[in-house]
Amino acid sequence: MPSQPADPGRRVVITGLGVVSSIGTGVAEFSAALRAGRSNVRPISVFDTTGFEHVNGCEVTDFEPERWIRQIDFEELGRASRFSTAAARLALTDSGLSQEALAEARCLISVGSTDGESHELDQLVSMELHGGPESMSPRLARRISAGRLATSIARELELSNVETSTIVTACSAGNYAIGNSFDAIRFGDADYALCGGADAVCRKTFTSFYRLRSIAPDCCRPFDRNRMGILTGEGAGILLLESLESATARGARIYAEVLGYGLSCDAHHPVAPHQGGIARCMELALANAGVKPGEVDLISAHGTGTKANDLTETAAIRDTFGERPPRVVSMKSMLGHTMGAASALAAIGCSVAITDRFIPPTINHVETDPECAIDCVPNTSVEADLRIVQNNGWAFGGNNSVVLFGRYDGQAVGV
Amino acid sequence: MSTTTAPVISAWTAISPFGPDRVCFAEGVRSRRVATAPPDPDRWSRVPEAMAGTVPGFEPREYLGNKGTRAMNRVSGLTVVAAKNLLADLEVPPGAARDDIGFVLGTTTGSAQSMMNLTRASLTGDKPDHVEPAAVPGCVMNCAAGQAAIWHGLKGPNATIAAGRTTGLQALDYSRRLLRAGRAARVLCGAAEEYSPARSWVEHHRRGGPAARAMGEGCAMFLVEPADQVPAGRTVLATLAGSDSRVCLDGYLPGAITAAVRSMLTRAGVGAHRVWAATGGDFLDTNGNAVESAVLRELFGDEVVDRVPDSGLIGDTSSATALFQLAAVLSVAEGAGRGDRDHAVVTAVDDDGSVACALFELGGSR
Repeated sequence: MPSQPADPGRRVVITGLGVVSSIGTGVAEFSAALRAGRSNVRPISVFDTTGFEHVNGCEVTDFEPERWIRQIDFEELGRASRFSTAAARLALTDSGLSQEALAEARCLISVGSTDGESHELDQLVSMELHGGPESMSPRLARRISAGRLATSIARELELSNVETSTIVTACSAGNYAIGNSFDAIRFGDADYALCGGADAVCRKTFTSFYRLRSIAPDCCRPFDRNRMGILTGEGAGILLLESLESATARGARIYAEVLGYGLSCDAHHPVAPHQGGIARCMELALANAGVKPGEVDLISAHGTGTKANDLTETAAIRDTFGERPPRVVSMKSMLGHTMGAASALAAIGCSVAITDRFIPPTINHVETDPECAIDCVPNTSVEADLRIVQNNGWAFGGNNSVVLFGRYDGQAVGV
Repeated sequence: MSTTTAPVISAWTAISPFGPDRVCFAEGVRSRRVATAPPDPDRWSRVPEAMAGTVPGFEPREYLGNKGTRAMNRVSGLTVVAAKNLLADLEVPPGAARDDIGFVLGTTTGSAQSMMNLTRASLTGDKPDHVEPAAVPGCVMNCAAGQAAIWHGLKGPNATIAAGRTTGLQALDYSRRLLRAGRAARVLCGAAEEYSPARSWVEHHRRGGPAARAMGEGCAMFLVEPADQVPAGRTVLATLAGSDSRVCLDGYLPGAITAAVRSMLTRAGVGAHRVWAATGGDFLDTNGNAVESAVLRELFGDEVVDRVPDSGLIGDTSSATALFQLAAVLSVAEGAGRGDRDHAVVTAVDDDGSVACALFELGGSR
């Protein structure tokens, strides 16, 4: 299926970044943490971990919703919606665009998620166990609908002329949301898009990965010979996208350009990644962006740190990029697996890597697995002049999404 | 290859409380049969409401056989069956690997029952990780879309959209965008909800007490393709001629719905006098008022609104409501004389303030 459209439409750029993560809130703090190779691994506190042997995770520990959520009562929102709403406020502030200007334009709000408000759903189960289903809290029940991850942003930022939806395509959902926004802006469906992903640590998902023997006992070591799996994490990454014309007209700072993206479905297995399916996704993304494999300077891997992911992903990368692929890093080594936020936070990492000229490291690395024959930039970030960066996302359901970002070199529109 | 032509709907199916396929659904809608009944006490224990709209006799293994269905949840089963029916209508051979067909599914939260069961097993088992591994894939919200792809070999873009009751219309718009960008040659676009105690109780508490109407379930699904790509032998049933969406900030939903519908009609250049049918999702505000139908009556008159029966016949299907109403429009429009009125309007409203509407030109030249 050729994906390079005959009509490329408008060029689309990133002009605002909003981050809520375990290693920092706000893009400056986040970028500094990535550059320093920081992590904030600690025992999970959001739910009771009694009885689990391994209990580490990557929680957002210093989050103050009232600092960012002013227009609506944050108590009405589930944990993931608080993250998405705060990150959207941060992205808008970072973009330099006024809330009034945004409200006057046509906007798309597209938020990816794996779990929606499953943390709240877990709590409803606890109530049911204690007092029967009649005893569930109406207030909690009203927080559940996953669509609220997007509509809460609209309500907080007072945006009425807006299309809102949450894309719940699991752990590649952030890339799906960015891709959807890219198409919406280049074809003129929207002037601005607030897009990305959000998820909150929850018992259901921790238990699921634990049962699949995928939770690491201590930390996440992608591509390492002794990797033991993922750590569940949480947070939100929201990007503000607009057309290049719009950004240059208002003199906005441009972090990077969205060059294109690809979607594919493995149609193979509900939870196992598939080499052919993800290689096809990378090829579709490259074709859509009009980029040759040799032009990619860095791959931000899905890089979960499980054996199944890392072996399959590196094999697929070598299928696509040959024997000498670009450097391949996993930001999950620092952030944990933030599920639906993962590819959005990584996209923000890609943007600042391009703008601030460095490659974030893959931390906790001792010895690269010889079966993962890549340079994963172990432990220490490196200075680098990046022109094109690829961001990978795979998900349960075989739902793959890859986005390509490019440095905006200041060339006039149409050149 | 991208296309700028408006997408059309050229096939559809529905598995619903009226029965397993399109024929049952169309017959139920045309006869305005109420398909809700007291839930079977042998199948459903301890649900909050007295009435439910369930697909008669539906269990995934009864429809799909034993292989691969042991751990399949209900929402996945409904979706896989709907896709099976629709692909059969399109004469796509079973198991054909198709990377040109996209799959877009709307949901509220996937299977609340599967998710809550897993948490419950973790909280009540001897050890917290003593949960059934086969149940894990059913606990993510995109389980049904992924299952449909695996069952039917659909390797094109596969996405799951959650937008409350406006989901179906947002999923249609997302499908339109995939086609416009050339990411798929055609898209199966649907929305699905399962009946379950978990969903019923969450809804019961969310609404703050006894339900005004029964909970319903099912999956409505449409083939969406570019108008200039419809092969000979397939009939265009409707063209997606416009859409609009917004979020109501001032709490006055009738104003938001009116503005959205008017703006959509203006942009499409279609006057209200050309609208043959208008239908909404029977959204009830906190005072129990049917907000959508009141607005649509004001805009289009009673005759246009009464043409298609309200969505309550099969119960409240949440995120699937709007696409079931579109299926109802197509059911009633089939073979009906419409004179010079050739459009239909479908609206959707969610209590989080989101509003969406879509405009369909009925029939077509092929």
